[in-house]
Formats: sequence, structure tokens, C-alpha cells
Amino acid sequence: MNTKFKAMSFSSPRDNVALAGLDDLHGAWQRRHVAAYFALTDTFARYRRSTIGPMWIVLGTAVGVVGLGLVWSVLLGIPKAHFIPMLTVGLIGWQFISGTILEASSVFARNASTITNLYVPRFSFTIELVLRQLITLGHNLLVILLVWIVFPENWSWVMLLALPGLLIVSASLLAVAQIVGFVGARYRDVELFFVAIMPILFFLTPILYETRQLGHLESIMLFNPLAHWILLLRDPMMGQVPSLLNYSVALSTCVVLWVTALVTTGAKAKRLPYWL
Amino acid sequence: MAEVTLENVTVCYPIYGAETGSLRRDIIRAGVGGFLSKKRRNIAQVTALNDITIKLRDGDRLGLVGHNGSGKTTLLKTIAGIYAPDSGQIRIVGRISTVFGLGTGMVPDLSGYENIRRMSMLLGASFEEAEASIPEIEAFTELREFLNVPVRTYSAGMLTRLLFAIATAVHPEVLLIDEVFGAGDMDFQVKAQKRMGELVERASIVVLASHSQDILNRFCTRKIHMEHGRVISQP
Repeated sequence: MNTKFKAMSFSSPRDNVALAGLDDLHGAWQRRHVAAYFALTDTFARYRRSTIGPMWIVLGTAVGVVGLGLVWSVLLGIPKAHFIPMLTVGLIGWQFISGTILEASSVFARNASTITNLYVPRFSFTIELVLRQLITLGHNLLVILLVWIVFPENWSWVMLLALPGLLIVSASLLAVAQIVGFVGARYRDVELFFVAIMPILFFLTPILYETRQLGHLESIMLFNPLAHWILLLRDPMMGQVPSLLNYSVALSTCVVLWVTALVTTGAKAKRLPYWL
Repeated sequence: MAEVTLENVTVCYPIYGAETGSLRRDIIRAGVGGFLSKKRRNIAQVTALNDITIKLRDGDRLGLVGHNGSGKTTLLKTIAGIYAPDSGQIRIVGRISTVFGLGTGMVPDLSGYENIRRMSMLLGASFEEAEASIPEIEAFTELREFLNVPVRTYSAGMLTRLLFAIATAVHPEVLLIDEVFGAGDMDFQVKAQKRMGELVERASIVVLASHSQDILNRFCTRKIHMEHGRVISQP
């Protein structure tokens, strides 16, 4: 460790846990170059000994899009030019969401040696996790490009709205990762819980279908924040402006998640080394 | 001016085992309530540091002596801010650096250079500082072109050279060292001790835990003897 402490007393923490959580976030922000370099080099390390490296991500997504696209467009009777682009964005968004949540449950356990040997702000680890997932997402943009070349009718300026959507989803996922990370560090069941539940959530989130196809069940999707996140990414890419409802639910979920994440971090950051 | 002050510091480790670590237990407890929930707070605890009071000022070189499990490492980690005390006050003034847990942040599949940047940055360096420390680490480790190949291919001795060089590349005001000697060939041992000497020389305050009387006598001006988390003699 090598932090500047002008005059600092570890033993008198802030009374307000949310402020203590903000302190942690501030510390992590000051060390953001570490999170960025770690996210990048971890990605390098993962593919160093493979020949086509990160192209495997692209290949996996492409196979998923083609395979699922051909089968489900027939099953659902939707034209491929509409269904395949929709599925592509949905699948890539889902990979980002589920990948982050699944990894979050063990994010602190995987960094146990760092946490028990150095003082590092807790948000550093989750920022690194979300950055790494965003790098994967970046590779998948190639699949989107290819699909949009094959079905060029979906190009529009509305697509730019996917960027603020991605920002809201990423910010929400950072808070989710922090919360799930802490609970997962204390209770090792959490990782197994998400491994069990994620495949089900995939089908309960409109990725293979659109919410309006649910008919009178459509209102159920109101209570699935993952559905709103997917729509914030998918609607703009399909040339539609996401509904005000999507934005309001996603933004209020984001606020609730962040308050929870900051309070959790403020209250439990000091306990973390004992849980690992 | 650097300062390390601990007043009546007590640190307890909770021991989470199969009995207390599972969510099921806690949910069942919450459901059953009353009778069983009495056990809720019954997580076994080890008092790793018991009522420790230490005052260190500029120029102090403190040696920690004691058996395995006497609390030396916990004391270093508490000063470093890794463990928060359950009671007592800690006041640290100055830039802290730790020389223990060498290899934290290392990825075997990355090259020596990439690992130098990663580990230096994890220890608190900026990207530019990490970059700037490379020539000096190159010179000390003498690993030359091996720094371009994955660390996974290094021998134990080569790895020790690299990790030691990275850990000792910064020059802090408060230096915390846990037993790090022992590996490497004779030549490296001599170099390592020399480098450690320079590091200790430049720091304002040093706290060093070691089982070696030679090292303690060489680097330290004061010693405290620890046993079961207490200071039992402070000459």
C-alpha cells in the first residue's frame, strides 16, 4: 500500500455509512487507472495463449445469433430482418448483464489476496469487473455491425440513444455488482443462487420475444428491471425511442441500487477482509 | 514528520465456519427467532491484538519478535489499514508502504513488464510512476529479456527477484515489512539485504517483523516481544 494519509485515523469511521460509502467510491475513482489497466491486462491474459483470442467472444455471439435467430424467427413467425437484429442486441445486452451479476458474487473472493494484503477501496474491484465486461461488449459490437450490414433497414439516428441507455445500465450494474459482491463474500451460497437463477431470468426477460407479444401478461415485465435495461439498449437500436416508463423505472432502480450499494459499502467495507 | 500511534488497539477476527457462514442458517435463524437466534452473535472470535499501545516517531525502527500466531502480521496489517480495530485509536501520518504479501496482483500469463506495471500500480503508483520504476527494477533483477516473457516460465528464484524488486521500488515515509527474506541464491540474498538496508535508511518510520535475530539487530533500534496478541516486553 502506498496511499497518502495526511493525518488519518482509521479507527474513527464516519458515522454516516452512506458517506463512508462515498469515501470508498472517491478512493476508487482516484485509482481508476489501476482498474482500467487491470481490466485490460486481465483480458489480454485470458486470450494470450489462444490463436484467435477475443474473436472467440465474437464467434460465440455470432453462432448464438444465427442459430437462435433462424430457429426462433420461424417458431414465432417473425420476419428475420426484424427478429435477428432484435435478438442480437438482446443477447449481447444479456451477456453483459448476466456476466456482470454472475462474476459479482465472487468478485471479492477472487481478489482475496489483494484485500487481505493491501488496503484497496472496495469499488475498485467492481469498477474493474464492469470495465472488463464492457470490453467484452465492445468485441460484440462487431456482431452488431455485421448483422446491421446484412439487414441495413435498421440504421437510424435513434440508435445513438443506446449510448445513454448503456450508461444507465452500466451504472446500475456497478451498484448491483457492489451489493452482490458484499453479500456473496459473506455468504458463499449467493454465487450458486445466481448460477441457478440466471437461465430462468433469461426466459423471463424479453430477449427472444417482445413484451407486447405477452398480451395481458405484459404488465409483469414492469417489475423486471432487467427487461427495462434490455429495452433501453434494444429499442434505440431498432429505431424506436424507449418509452418514458422504461426510463423512469430504470432511473429510479438505479438510484435505489446506488443508495443500497453505498450504504452496504460504508457499513461492511471494514468487515470484508474477515470474510475472505 | 511521520507518525504512527496506536492507543489501546484491539483487533478480533471472527471465525466463520460452515456453521455460521451459510445464508440458510441465517434465514432459518431469522425464521425460528427467539431461542436459536441467541446463537446469532455467537460467532467464534480470536483476539489477534489485545490492547496494543505503540508510539513511533521519525527515526524509529521497530522490530517485532514473537512466535507464529503471536500477532506480528496482524499488527502490521492493522497499521496498514487492512484490519479495522474493534476498539482503540490509530493515527498515521505519512505515506505508508508495505513489504508483505509479495506477488499480490500478479498474473502468471502476463510478461514481467506487464506485471511490474500492475503490481506497482496496485501498490499505489500512478501509471507514469510505474513506468518510471522499470529501469531500476530491470537493473536490480538482472532478468533482461526474461522480462518480456510470461512470468509463469520463471524459476522460483527469478520470481523472488522480481517480486522483491517491485515491492521495494517505492520510498515511503512509513515502511511496514513482514519476513520476506529466505528465497533466492546467496548472491541475491546479499543484494536483497543491501536494498532493504537502503529502503529502511530512507524511510522515516520502519516496523519490521522477523524471526531472524541478525536482521532485527541490523535494522532495528527498538524491539517489542509479542505473545498471544499482547506486547509482553518493550525494552
